[in-house]
Amino acid sequence: MAKPSTKPVEDSVARVDHEVAVGEDLGFQRSWWRFERGAWLFFVVVILLDLAGAFGRGPLADAELSSHDKSVAVRYERIERTGTPSMLKIELGPKAIRDGAARLFVSDSIVGSLGARRIIPEPSSTEIGAGGLTYRFPASRPPASVSLELEPAGAGLFPFDIAVPGLAALHGKILVMP
Amino acid sequence: MDAVIRAFFGYLLLVLVVRIVGRRPGKQLTPFEFVLIFFIGGLALTAIVGDERSFTDAVCQIVAVASAHYALSWARAKSSRVARLVDGTPLILLEHGRWRVKTLEQMRIADDDVMANARDRGLQSLREIETAVLERNGDISIIPAGRR
Repeated sequence: MAKPSTKPVEDSVARVDHEVAVGEDLGFQRSWWRFERGAWLFFVVVILLDLAGAFGRGPLADAELSSHDKSVAVRYERIERTGTPSMLKIELGPKAIRDGAARLFVSDSIVGSLGARRIIPEPSSTEIGAGGLTYRFPASRPPASVSLELEPAGAGLFPFDIAVPGLAALHGKILVMP
Repeated sequence: MDAVIRAFFGYLLLVLVVRIVGRRPGKQLTPFEFVLIFFIGGLALTAIVGDERSFTDAVCQIVAVASAHYALSWARAKSSRVARLVDGTPLILLEHGRWRVKTLEQMRIADDDVMANARDRGLQSLREIETAVLERNGDISIIPAGRR
């Protein structure tokens, strides 16, 4: 039977006062402690940014767009998170309601990249074209609002357009965190 | 592919965070540390798995974590620099009757922790300790005075 391969034991672990083999490396450890202090500082910054909403779900993430004539206003979160639901609320003023109905155009990115799951209320009809969908809602008097539940499937910066046909369009961007 | 990358980075992030949180003395996890490990692990799991709950994903992620662990262990065995980064180095807490104050403070270790290990060795007071060393696995080794 073959002998197991061996090598002589050497005194390779550093000793303390030439007595105990410990292998302490205080120089490295001091550098690590400096790195740890930086890491803890980073953790605190991450927590504060998160509380402030820099990663979504907070005051910094809340955004609002409105047309000059106040016929359309959109409240949404400019920073969202992948796989996390949020609401985009569209408020319609008097000019946006005509002949007992409100029409609303949303770009494809709202349905695609930003993952619109639900629209409240249900539109009475939907038209496709012009790079998006145009919904029609029966409406009586203003104020009226439509909400879209978004749940993005992936990270990225996604521009979107919302418009009432015949009035000014609103352009916004939503950053989706991973 | 996404799931494998998430698993890989999730593993490395957990290794780094647990390393930063620090070594605590003791041969077993305290209830306090159980909470930390299971809570962090559970939180990481939700992000790593996401909505993808298929058997294929589970297999790929397990293989990815196992491979990352193997690669890290291999690098640790081959390079003393990587070993120091992953495990740290042993640290002297007490020698010749004097505490290493800075080390105790940085490692959040109290004299009680050293004494607990001294009692384990049958010593009755701190004065009977020649050298106390915080090992890389969190154990505290005690070398009794007058051993030489």
